[in-house]
Amino acid sequence: MIGNDIVDLQLAETESNWQRTGFLERQFTKKEREVILKSHDSFLQVWLFWSMKEAAYKCYTQQHEKRFFAPQKFECSLTSKDEGFVVFKKSKFYTTTFFNTLYVHTIAQENQEEKNFFSAIDSSATIESNIKRKLQEETGVFSTEITKKKSSIGAPLYYYKEKLLIKSCSISHHGNYGAFAFTLANES
Amino acid sequence: MTKKEIISKLTTIVKPYIQNEEGFKNISENTDFINDLEINSANLVDIVLDVEDEFNIEIDNDSMEKMLSVKAVVGIIQEKQSA
Repeated sequence: MIGNDIVDLQLAETESNWQRTGFLERQFTKKEREVILKSHDSFLQVWLFWSMKEAAYKCYTQQHEKRFFAPQKFECSLTSKDEGFVVFKKSKFYTTTFFNTLYVHTIAQENQEEKNFFSAIDSSATIESNIKRKLQEETGVFSTEITKKKSSIGAPLYYYKEKLLIKSCSISHHGNYGAFAFTLANES
Repeated sequence: MTKKEIISKLTTIVKPYIQNEEGFKNISENTDFINDLEINSANLVDIVLDVEDEFNIEIDNDSMEKMLSVKAVVGIIQEKQSA
Protein backbone atom coordinates (compact mmCIF):
# COMPACT_ATOMS: atom_id res chain seq x y z
CA MET A 1 0.00 0.00 0.00
CA ILE A 2 1.01 3.56 -0.61
CA GLY A 3 -0.28 6.80 0.89
CA ASN A 4 0.61 10.44 0.41
CA ASP A 5 -0.17 13.79 1.92
CA ILE A 6 0.55 17.36 0.93
CA VAL A 7 0.44 20.46 3.13
CA ASP A 8 0.31 23.94 1.64
CA LEU A 9 2.42 25.78 4.21
CA GLN A 10 1.00 29.18 3.50
CA LEU A 11 -2.53 27.87 4.03
CA ALA A 12 -1.50 25.87 7.10
CA GLU A 13 -0.22 29.07 8.64
CA THR A 14 -3.57 30.83 8.33
CA GLU A 15 -5.86 27.81 8.69
CA SER A 16 -4.39 26.36 11.87
CA ASN A 17 -2.76 27.80 14.93
CA TRP A 18 -0.34 25.12 16.10
CA GLN A 19 0.35 27.16 19.23
CA ARG A 20 -3.27 26.96 20.32
CA THR A 21 -3.64 25.36 23.76
CA GLY A 22 -4.26 21.65 23.32
CA PHE A 23 -3.38 21.55 19.62
CA LEU A 24 -0.05 19.77 20.00
CA GLU A 25 -1.19 17.69 22.98
CA ARG A 26 -4.13 16.19 21.11
CA GLN A 27 -2.24 15.26 17.97
CA PHE A 28 1.32 14.49 18.87
CA THR A 29 2.98 12.10 21.28
CA LYS A 30 5.24 13.38 24.05
CA LYS A 31 8.29 12.35 22.06
CA GLU A 32 7.07 14.19 18.95
CA ARG A 33 6.24 17.30 20.97
CA GLU A 34 9.77 17.37 22.34
CA VAL A 35 11.17 17.24 18.80
CA ILE A 36 8.77 19.99 17.67
CA LEU A 37 9.57 22.32 20.54
CA LYS A 38 13.33 21.79 20.24
CA SER A 39 13.33 22.35 16.49
CA HIS A 40 14.66 25.64 15.14
CA ASP A 41 11.57 25.67 12.89
CA SER A 42 8.74 24.30 15.03
CA PHE A 43 6.11 25.30 12.49
CA LEU A 44 7.73 23.21 9.75
CA GLN A 45 8.30 20.33 12.16
CA VAL A 46 4.58 20.29 13.07
CA TRP A 47 3.54 19.98 9.43
CA LEU A 48 6.27 17.53 8.56
CA PHE A 49 5.07 15.16 11.30
CA TRP A 50 1.46 15.84 10.38
CA SER A 51 1.98 14.90 6.74
CA MET A 52 3.81 11.74 7.84
CA LYS A 53 0.85 10.75 10.03
CA GLU A 54 -1.69 11.50 7.31
CA ALA A 55 0.25 9.60 4.65
CA ALA A 56 0.56 6.60 6.98
CA TYR A 57 -3.17 6.79 7.84
CA LYS A 58 -4.05 6.76 4.14
CA CYS A 59 -1.89 3.68 3.69
CA TYR A 60 -3.48 1.92 6.65
CA THR A 61 -7.10 2.71 5.79
CA GLN A 62 -6.82 1.43 2.24
CA GLN A 63 -6.22 -1.97 3.76
CA HIS A 64 -8.54 -1.81 6.74
CA GLU A 65 -11.44 0.18 5.25
CA LYS A 66 -12.28 1.94 8.48
CA ARG A 67 -12.09 5.68 9.12
CA PHE A 68 -11.15 7.25 12.43
CA PHE A 69 -9.34 10.26 13.85
CA ALA A 70 -6.47 9.21 16.10
CA PRO A 71 -3.41 11.21 15.03
CA GLN A 72 -1.63 10.63 18.32
CA LYS A 73 -1.62 6.88 17.77
CA PHE A 74 0.55 7.27 14.69
CA GLU A 75 4.00 7.91 16.09
CA CYS A 76 6.60 9.47 13.82
CA SER A 77 10.35 8.97 13.96
CA LEU A 78 12.87 10.54 11.65
CA THR A 79 15.97 8.67 10.56
CA SER A 80 17.30 11.59 8.53
CA LYS A 81 16.00 15.05 7.77
CA ASP A 82 13.53 13.74 5.19
CA GLU A 83 13.20 10.00 5.87
CA GLY A 84 11.58 8.17 8.70
CA PHE A 85 8.81 5.83 9.74
CA VAL A 86 5.41 5.94 11.40
CA VAL A 87 4.24 3.22 13.77
CA PHE A 88 0.55 2.51 14.30
CA LYS A 89 -0.42 -0.55 16.34
CA LYS A 90 1.48 -3.41 14.69
CA SER A 91 2.01 -1.61 11.39
CA LYS A 92 5.08 0.30 10.33
CA PHE A 93 5.10 2.72 7.43
CA TYR A 94 8.27 4.05 5.85
CA THR A 95 8.13 7.69 4.85
CA THR A 96 9.96 10.02 2.51
CA THR A 97 9.18 13.70 2.77
CA PHE A 98 9.97 16.49 0.38
CA PHE A 99 9.69 20.00 1.72
CA ASN A 100 10.50 23.54 0.69
CA THR A 101 9.18 26.92 1.76
CA LEU A 102 5.86 26.35 -0.04
CA TYR A 103 4.78 22.82 0.81
CA VAL A 104 5.50 19.55 2.58
CA HIS A 105 4.80 16.28 0.77
CA THR A 106 5.15 12.83 2.30
CA ILE A 107 4.88 9.40 0.73
CA ALA A 108 4.33 6.48 3.10
CA GLN A 109 4.61 2.80 2.21
CA GLU A 110 4.68 -0.46 4.05
CA ASN A 111 7.38 -1.99 1.93
CA GLN A 112 10.54 0.04 2.25
CA GLU A 113 12.05 -1.56 -0.82
CA GLU A 114 9.11 -0.81 -3.12
CA LYS A 115 10.44 1.59 -5.74
CA ASN A 116 7.83 0.77 -8.33
CA PHE A 117 5.43 3.60 -7.66
CA PHE A 118 4.45 6.78 -9.45
CA SER A 119 4.02 10.09 -7.77
CA ALA A 120 3.78 13.78 -8.65
CA ILE A 121 3.12 17.12 -7.07
CA ASP A 122 1.02 19.58 -9.00
CA SER A 123 -1.55 22.32 -8.65
CA SER A 124 -4.75 21.40 -6.87
CA ALA A 125 -6.79 22.16 -10.00
CA THR A 126 -4.96 19.83 -12.41
CA ILE A 127 -4.07 16.87 -10.23
CA GLU A 128 -7.10 14.79 -11.25
CA SER A 129 -6.35 15.06 -14.97
CA ASN A 130 -2.66 14.50 -14.35
CA ILE A 131 -3.13 11.24 -12.54
CA LYS A 132 -5.22 9.95 -15.46
CA ARG A 133 -2.53 11.06 -17.89
CA LYS A 134 0.09 9.24 -15.86
CA LEU A 135 -2.10 6.14 -15.75
CA GLN A 136 -2.45 6.33 -19.52
CA GLU A 137 1.32 6.54 -19.89
CA GLU A 138 1.90 3.54 -17.66
CA THR A 139 -0.97 1.25 -18.69
CA GLY A 140 -1.62 2.23 -22.29
CA VAL A 141 -5.31 2.80 -21.55
CA PHE A 142 -6.53 6.15 -22.90
CA SER A 143 -7.24 8.60 -20.10
CA THR A 144 -10.77 9.20 -21.42
CA GLU A 145 -11.44 5.48 -20.95
CA ILE A 146 -10.33 5.54 -17.34
CA THR A 147 -13.03 5.96 -14.74
CA LYS A 148 -12.58 6.96 -11.14
CA LYS A 149 -14.54 5.39 -8.32
CA LYS A 150 -14.20 5.60 -4.60
CA SER A 151 -13.75 2.82 -2.09
CA SER A 152 -16.00 2.59 0.98
CA ILE A 153 -13.62 4.87 2.89
CA GLY A 154 -13.20 7.30 0.00
CA ALA A 155 -9.87 6.11 -1.39
CA PRO A 156 -9.58 6.63 -5.16
CA LEU A 157 -9.86 3.62 -7.47
CA TYR A 158 -9.20 3.80 -11.22
CA TYR A 159 -10.80 1.40 -13.65
CA TYR A 160 -10.70 0.57 -17.32
CA LYS A 161 -14.13 -1.00 -17.82
CA GLU A 162 -14.29 -3.63 -15.06
CA LYS A 163 -10.56 -3.86 -14.61
CA LEU A 164 -8.93 -2.17 -11.64
CA LEU A 165 -5.77 -0.46 -12.87
CA ILE A 166 -4.13 0.37 -9.58
CA LYS A 167 -3.07 -1.73 -6.65
CA SER A 168 -2.94 1.19 -4.28
CA CYS A 169 -3.62 4.88 -4.81
CA SER A 170 -3.70 8.04 -2.79
CA ILE A 171 -4.59 11.59 -3.80
CA SER A 172 -4.08 14.58 -1.60
CA HIS A 173 -5.17 18.22 -1.92
CA HIS A 174 -4.39 21.20 0.21
CA GLY A 175 -4.64 24.84 -0.78
CA ASN A 176 -2.84 25.43 -4.05
CA TYR A 177 -1.31 21.98 -4.25
CA GLY A 178 -2.34 18.51 -5.23
CA ALA A 179 -0.33 15.31 -5.22
CA PHE A 180 -0.78 11.65 -5.97
CA ALA A 181 0.98 8.35 -5.46
CA PHE A 182 -0.01 4.99 -6.88
CA THR A 183 1.22 1.51 -7.58
CA LEU A 184 -0.11 -0.47 -10.52
CA ALA A 185 -2.16 -3.66 -10.30
CA ASN A 186 -0.12 -6.69 -11.28
CA GLU A 187 -0.38 -7.64 -14.92
CA SER A 188 -2.04 -11.02 -15.16
CA MET B 1 -29.89 20.35 25.76
CA THR B 2 -31.90 18.99 22.86
CA LYS B 3 -30.32 17.42 19.80
CA LYS B 4 -31.51 20.39 17.78
CA GLU B 5 -29.76 22.85 20.10
CA ILE B 6 -26.56 20.82 19.99
CA ILE B 7 -26.59 20.71 16.18
CA SER B 8 -27.21 24.45 16.02
CA LYS B 9 -24.20 25.19 18.27
CA LEU B 10 -22.09 22.67 16.37
CA THR B 11 -23.00 24.36 13.09
CA THR B 12 -21.53 27.62 14.40
CA ILE B 13 -18.39 25.78 15.57
CA VAL B 14 -17.65 24.08 12.25
CA LYS B 15 -18.42 27.09 10.06
CA PRO B 16 -14.89 28.58 9.98
CA TYR B 17 -13.41 25.25 8.84
CA ILE B 18 -15.78 24.18 6.07
CA GLN B 19 -14.72 24.19 2.43
CA ASN B 20 -17.92 22.96 0.85
CA GLU B 21 -20.66 25.60 1.05
CA GLU B 22 -23.31 23.33 -0.44
CA GLY B 23 -22.64 20.66 2.17
CA PHE B 24 -22.76 23.30 4.88
CA LYS B 25 -26.12 24.64 3.71
CA ASN B 26 -27.54 21.14 4.02
CA ILE B 27 -25.93 20.32 7.34
CA SER B 28 -27.82 17.64 9.26
CA GLU B 29 -27.23 14.77 11.60
CA ASN B 30 -25.95 12.72 8.66
CA THR B 31 -23.29 15.21 7.61
CA ASP B 32 -19.74 13.88 7.45
CA PHE B 33 -17.08 16.50 8.25
CA ILE B 34 -14.58 15.34 5.66
CA ASN B 35 -16.74 13.92 2.86
CA ASP B 36 -19.56 16.48 2.97
CA LEU B 37 -17.98 19.62 4.40
CA GLU B 38 -14.44 18.98 3.13
CA ILE B 39 -12.96 20.05 6.41
CA ASN B 40 -9.23 19.61 6.45
CA SER B 41 -8.26 16.82 8.84
CA ALA B 42 -5.83 19.15 10.63
CA ASN B 43 -8.85 21.26 11.59
CA LEU B 44 -10.67 18.31 13.16
CA VAL B 45 -8.61 18.90 16.26
CA ASP B 46 -9.83 22.51 16.34
CA ILE B 47 -13.39 21.22 16.29
CA VAL B 48 -12.59 18.87 19.19
CA LEU B 49 -11.09 21.76 21.19
CA ASP B 50 -13.96 24.13 20.31
CA VAL B 51 -16.58 21.53 21.30
CA GLU B 52 -14.81 21.04 24.64
CA ASP B 53 -14.89 24.79 25.30
CA GLU B 54 -18.43 25.41 24.10
CA PHE B 55 -20.06 22.49 25.88
CA ASN B 56 -17.72 22.48 28.85
CA ILE B 57 -16.86 18.80 28.51
CA GLU B 58 -13.68 16.78 28.21
CA ILE B 59 -13.31 14.61 25.16
CA ASP B 60 -11.00 11.65 25.70
CA ASN B 61 -8.98 10.12 22.88
CA ASP B 62 -11.38 7.19 22.42
CA SER B 63 -14.27 9.59 21.80
CA MET B 64 -12.14 11.82 19.59
CA GLU B 65 -11.41 8.84 17.38
CA LYS B 66 -15.08 8.77 16.30
CA MET B 67 -15.54 12.50 15.72
CA LEU B 68 -15.96 12.41 11.95
CA SER B 69 -19.64 13.27 11.68
CA VAL B 70 -22.32 15.46 13.21
CA LYS B 71 -24.09 12.38 14.52
CA ALA B 72 -20.98 11.10 16.31
CA VAL B 73 -20.30 14.46 17.95
CA VAL B 74 -23.93 14.86 19.06
CA GLY B 75 -23.74 11.37 20.60
CA ILE B 76 -20.53 12.19 22.46
CA ILE B 77 -21.90 15.49 23.78
CA GLN B 78 -25.16 13.87 24.96
CA GLU B 79 -23.25 11.07 26.64
CA LYS B 80 -20.88 13.44 28.47
CA GLN B 81 -23.66 15.79 29.52
CA SER B 82 -25.77 13.03 31.00
CA ALA B 83 -22.79 11.54 32.85
